[in-house]
Amino acid sequence: MSAHAVAAPRAARPAAGRGAMTFRGVLAAEWTKVTSLRAPYWAAAATAVACGLLTYVSANASSVDPGFDPLDSLTSGVLLAQVGPLVLGVLVGTGEFATGTFRTTFATVPRRLPVLAAQVVVTAAFAVVAALLAVIAAVAGILPAASGRGIAVDLTADGTPQVLVGTALYLVGLALCGLAAGALLRRTVPALVGILVLVLVLPVGLSLATDGGTGPAAPAGAVPADPASTLVTFTPSGAASFLTAPPGGGGVAGAPDLGPWGAAAVLAAWALVPLVAAAVRLRRRDLV
Amino acid sequence: MIEVEALVKRYGSTTAVDGLTFTARPGTVTGFLGPDGAGKSTTMRMIVGLERPTAGTATVDGRRYAELDAPLHSVGVMLDARSVHPGRTAFRHLLAQARTHGIPRSRVDEVIAMTGLEPVAHRRAGTYSLGMGQRLGIAGALLGDPGTLILDEPVNGLDPDGVLWVRRLVRDLAAEGRTVLLSSHLMHELALCADRVVIIGRGRLLADAPVHEIVERSGGTLEEAYLQLTAGAVQYRGRATTSPTTTTAGDAR
Ligand SMILES: Nc1ncnc2c1ncn2[C@@H]1O[C@H](COP(=O)(O)OP(=O)(O)OP(=O)(O)O)[C@@H](O)[C@H]1O
Ligand SMILES: [Mg+2]
Repeated sequence: MSAHAVAAPRAARPAAGRGAMTFRGVLAAEWTKVTSLRAPYWAAAATAVACGLLTYVSANASSVDPGFDPLDSLTSGVLLAQVGPLVLGVLVGTGEFATGTFRTTFATVPRRLPVLAAQVVVTAAFAVVAALLAVIAAVAGILPAASGRGIAVDLTADGTPQVLVGTALYLVGLALCGLAAGALLRRTVPALVGILVLVLVLPVGLSLATDGGTGPAAPAGAVPADPASTLVTFTPSGAASFLTAPPGGGGVAGAPDLGPWGAAAVLAAWALVPLVAAAVRLRRRDLV
Repeated sequence: MIEVEALVKRYGSTTAVDGLTFTARPGTVTGFLGPDGAGKSTTMRMIVGLERPTAGTATVDGRRYAELDAPLHSVGVMLDARSVHPGRTAFRHLLAQARTHGIPRSRVDEVIAMTGLEPVAHRRAGTYSLGMGQRLGIAGALLGDPGTLILDEPVNGLDPDGVLWVRRLVRDLAAEGRTVLLSSHLMHELALCADRVVIIGRGRLLADAPVHEIVERSGGTLEEAYLQLTAGAVQYRGRATTSPTTTTAGDAR
């Protein structure tokens, strides 16, 4: 570079009209940061595509059943759609520390906590868009199988609106769980591995270990309470089954029925507890 | 104005900064010198609140950095060229920084032009050379048109044209009445652009005086004066592989 960037003649420093740092400003800055990287867009696109494709495949496979109801396949894509929001959240949480950007960020916002708060808002906002796309993709995914069997899909009936909203909220919640893990651990690989194990591997492992398998909730009292199934229910994805099922559904045999609100509370705790720990670490410790 | 008073920083058993006191005044370029590991960067990180002092205080214009309402307008900071996300362009990096304080986009374009980054401003920072990254760091420090600048080895990695530019820039900034604290290992460069030098070794103050005074005292160049002053405080010293005898100007710990 041979730019002869001689210090431009500088006007006298304006004494007035210079704004202070504001939370709105920090919010705008974090939005600028997230939207200026490629990974968040990839994560959002992957969420929608994975959700749509898996739903489509699953609905097509089930459509040969005599009692096929396309709406039963509506959330079959969630299994894969979980990954995108988690990656999105983790990358926002670790991005500052994995790259050294934190020096710029926290020298600019020395109070520190507004940055974390802004990251929560920005991640949620970005995840809402990704989640809406994923839900739309899921609906699109069941349509071919439904029309192939000549079944009209009615999204307004039988608790389907709750399923759609619950699925979207779950995906947004996962992004916040990812952000919390990333902000707390500050390193991308440990945070990503940790959160994927918690959300994807642990529930399957626990279910296999107890040989229980996941199925629709058994009639109350039919199955004795079982510690492993109870643990599964309190993982993010276990709790989410109450959010992505029609009212009254979801859950694992032998585990407490959380209901949608209880499930939302469990999910919120998985985001909030590590987030508070991350805030304490951010506030108290040196940034090096 | 930067005031550092009895500043101490310990990392476990290592004492990086050991009771350091000095002042960088407005209208002055203060050169901050010392051997590798002397505690220059640590001191600067404490001034801007990234690290908490074990003891002592550091203030800018009489206030702790973390208490400033508009840090970007008070202090421009460049600590390390690797303070940028490699996936973000220079423009977006600076824009994000500017938005925290409601600084307009036009100012971002201005500092990009000032630092000569226009040709690469919309390229991802991960593709930048060391010098380009350094220019981006300086651009960020200038963004808020601050009254105080803290620059850690700003000419590190710059081409001769860039070195000359930084020299003029810091002179101009001081001439406008701003406070400039600048660390460097390039003595010739500092002799040309600093008014005053603060020399530290092993976290302690070794000298704090106008450049001409230090040079006169030693009767040689600033480099000779520096070597004399820091002879006993060098912690990391290489050895010549060709000569069997090593000079023992000071103990290597
Ligand atoms: N986070 C840390 N943990 C432990 N020790 C540290 C840490 N940061 C710095 N140190 C130590 O503190 C001392 C001062 O380091 P510092 O980076 O401030 O030196 P410096 O004067 O900037 O050196 P250089 O000229 O090489 O940049 C060194 O001994 C270093 O190893
Ligand atoms: Mg240093």
